[in-house]
Amino acid sequence: MTQAMNPWLDDLLRDMESIQLQRQGDRRIRIDVASEALPALLELLQGRAGYVHLSAISCVDWIDAGEFELVYHVWSYELSTLVSAHTRVPRDPGVYLSVYDLYRPAAFFERDIHEMFGLYFEGSPDMEPFILTEWNGPPPMRKDFDSEAFVNQTFQWEEYRPDWLIEIEEQGGGVSKRPEDIR
Amino acid sequence: MRPENYQAKSHPPSNEYELNFGPNHPGIEGNYALRVKLHGDRVIAARADAGYLHRGFEKLMEGRLWIQNIALVPRICVPDPTPMEVCYSLSVEALCGLDVPPRAQWIRVMQLEMSRLAAHLFAFGGHAATTGLYTNMFWGVADRDLILDRFEELTGGRVYSIYNIPGGVRRDVPEGFLGRLAALLDYLESRLDDYDNLFFRNQVFVRRARDVGTLSQQQALEWGVTGPNLRATGLAFDVRRDDPYLVYDQLEFDVVTEQAGDALARNLVRRGELKQSIRILRQVIAALPGIDGPIRAPIPNPLAWNVPPGETYTRVESSKGELAYYVVSTGGDKPYRVHVRGPSAMHAVQVLEKLAVGARLEDVAQIMFSLDACPPEVDR
Repeated sequence: MTQAMNPWLDDLLRDMESIQLQRQGDRRIRIDVASEALPALLELLQGRAGYVHLSAISCVDWIDAGEFELVYHVWSYELSTLVSAHTRVPRDPGVYLSVYDLYRPAAFFERDIHEMFGLYFEGSPDMEPFILTEWNGPPPMRKDFDSEAFVNQTFQWEEYRPDWLIEIEEQGGGVSKRPEDIR
Repeated sequence: MRPENYQAKSHPPSNEYELNFGPNHPGIEGNYALRVKLHGDRVIAARADAGYLHRGFEKLMEGRLWIQNIALVPRICVPDPTPMEVCYSLSVEALCGLDVPPRAQWIRVMQLEMSRLAAHLFAFGGHAATTGLYTNMFWGVADRDLILDRFEELTGGRVYSIYNIPGGVRRDVPEGFLGRLAALLDYLESRLDDYDNLFFRNQVFVRRARDVGTLSQQQALEWGVTGPNLRATGLAFDVRRDDPYLVYDQLEFDVVTEQAGDALARNLVRRGELKQSIRILRQVIAALPGIDGPIRAPIPNPLAWNVPPGETYTRVESSKGELAYYVVSTGGDKPYRVHVRGPSAMHAVQVLEKLAVGARLEDVAQIMFSLDACPPEVDR
């Protein structure tokens, strides 16, 4: 696969171990890298190949494997290619390194992932809750968080049967089924 | 009390105070807040406070069929919903290896540029209001409404059109629609001079917005700024041109740039893009009648559609900047993970917190509107 790569990327990554390259389309490159080597890879990409724009950090919860997958999407304005660097970290204890010193936008994405997945980033400047400030449940984007079960445990169903609804129901109309009856 | 026994208590200086700017404030966009710390009327610290509009779209999408999510995605960004639909559809198409028919691609471009026009009219109308120029706000909203009329005719929905589906678009262009769109474009173009006189060359606005919220190009790159805000610092980058999707590589348009990087420059970039969007739409109107063929690729039964396993990162240029979807499929009838990267996530949080510091209180609203941040997109 590497024969098709641009020479600069070959040269750049020749010395790095535990890296797999895959070209996906004209301007997309996927790199799989071990979690220890990811900061070094990003530093190389940024410093030597001009990948200065961190487009996003995406997190995927692979609960069956007990891992979080982190995907760092970096874009080079000069080479017009997007590199997606994939790495995996164990779900437990759920700690990884921040790349804030390389990319400032990482602070937002790391804060968001910490809030939604519970993955802590050491060295990130701000791990305070952002969106879920009044939330005391588990991190909601984890696959083992069941929104519906949480709602049923936390809230109570209110009987709502005003007179006008009873009248409609007596005439055979209205929708009075609860969600669990429908399923 | 004897003077030698007097110990001054330490307390914050009386001229420093905190102010909750939003979530109920005419100078804030949508349901969003900034907690600003002030020294006199000068901001010395700012902290973004989001979450008032969190609807949990990313989680909801994991529990719904691929096709059902089309009804969810446009709601992520209210003023500019079309790029959301298109970007999600492009992601699913990439996962399935679907080729979208050319006619559908041109119709999508038409819809995207209509949405960009509407969003820009809304954006500088909003900015005008923060400088007290309410007439321009009314004009912007009224002219946007004319574009919404065309959206209604094309898609059935004024704001959330839910018109793009994976594979193409739902319906073909109605009879006579292109003529009415061309007439609307002529009207909008004739309005540009009025906008210039009333707003873009108005000294009330120019002197208020100049040197406010200035970003250098280096800062913009460092803080992940994209879209018109990046182009206002002199970098000619546009996803439509540099990472093209749909048929943008067959269209002629200029990437509008400005050098100053301040609130004025950001508005002037949007002003230039109005003209470019009109230019693109005229090309679409000229080309579309000559492009025959279906408006969508054949797709499996959408209620029992298992998308092949894989992952994709798809980007488009929304009116606010770089919009991207990271979509993961494990081969099921629902997405395994959808991550929405909205441009406002950068602009409304880190960049706004940084730019507000040192500004006068009355300029904070201007800075936020000049960044064209979209709070629902931050909250998702």
